[in-house]
Amino acid sequence: MNSELKLSDKSREFLDHLRVYLFSSGKHSDEIEEIVEELEVHLFEAEKNGKPIEKIIGKSPKEYMEMVSNEMATDYRSWIKTISLIVFGSFSFTIFSDLMKGNLSYSVLEIVGHLVIGAVFIAAIATGFKYISATNLSIKKQGLLVTAIMILPIALFVGLIYANRAIDTPVIHFGTTASMIIGGITALFIIGASFWAKTWILLIVVALLTLPDFLLGLTPLTHEAQLMISPWITFGGIGLYLWLSLSWSRKNGK
Amino acid sequence: MLVIVTLVMQGIGEVKENLSTTQMLKGILDGCLLAIIKDKEVYGYELAEKLESYGFHSFSEGTIYPLLMRMQKEELVTTTLKKSTAGPRRKYYSLTPKGEAELEMFIERWNYLQTNVNRVLRHESDSEHLKGDETDE
Repeated sequence: MNSELKLSDKSREFLDHLRVYLFSSGKHSDEIEEIVEELEVHLFEAEKNGKPIEKIIGKSPKEYMEMVSNEMATDYRSWIKTISLIVFGSFSFTIFSDLMKGNLSYSVLEIVGHLVIGAVFIAAIATGFKYISATNLSIKKQGLLVTAIMILPIALFVGLIYANRAIDTPVIHFGTTASMIIGGITALFIIGASFWAKTWILLIVVALLTLPDFLLGLTPLTHEAQLMISPWITFGGIGLYLWLSLSWSRKNGK
Repeated sequence: MLVIVTLVMQGIGEVKENLSTTQMLKGILDGCLLAIIKDKEVYGYELAEKLESYGFHSFSEGTIYPLLMRMQKEELVTTTLKKSTAGPRRKYYSLTPKGEAELEMFIERWNYLQTNVNRVLRHESDSEHLKGDETDE
């Protein structure tokens, strides 16, 4: 990539928005970088010659983004990758923390609800980010929208918990062997997905969420002390991982 | 006006449900881009400047990129990245044999169109149908 060219804020903002728009439209990331870089060079030279950005992208940035997007192939492979990571990732959190407590049992509503929430969340992210990048919203409104999108799955999960108490659907009980098999499959899935996506975040977060409770339970510490220590390990561990991976990726020149 | 638009669209072989002037212009722009690229290997900004120097002032310069992307996908053009003295890396476009053939076809279509449109405008009759059949010529 170019070292940052000197561009007006308006052009820089447009390029950022274009990148997000194309990304949330599911385009190949190297193709996105290619067109963004090409437009960056164009805007740079145009600005040097005193042309306004409207002369390049027309009056409607949204229309222009759509035009570019239409010419690019959708990267279904990474889409499926991301979607299955989110859906099965959220499953694996539940499965592992439940496994630590004993055998698994889920109602039909829980299973279906999980899948639906995963789908809703993904749809909300994709449309939300596309909307934000194509329209001129104030930072405040953008923040509000992103927060709303992030809260949405949490609200839906809370709703699901209550709905699950109120509505009786058949419950599927898994015996010890079945629970162990499911646990094994999930573990294999997480490890496989991590290799595939080339990131350890899922594995590490699942481990940090489930293992501290389990391991602390083996220590002679009081229940209260365990409850206090466990979140520290979880969040401290996640923070440490993010920090390490950030400094690692910086060192690698990106 | 409608007659001309229809003729142009048929000639270019890009009849879509919504005939708009921008779409009409697109097909023609494609041909112009190919012609400019054939002359000399060019990068995007240069290409836009050239188009303007030929009199296309009203279009947004960025429109060429989606067109170039499609032309690259259709293997009409190839690209190479080159460093410029000014700093940024530029993407240069050149014509493939397939692109040259497409340009030839465009020139043919354009000449055919131009003749017919001019006839319409001058109210000359060809004694045959002006419905855009290739066999008319």
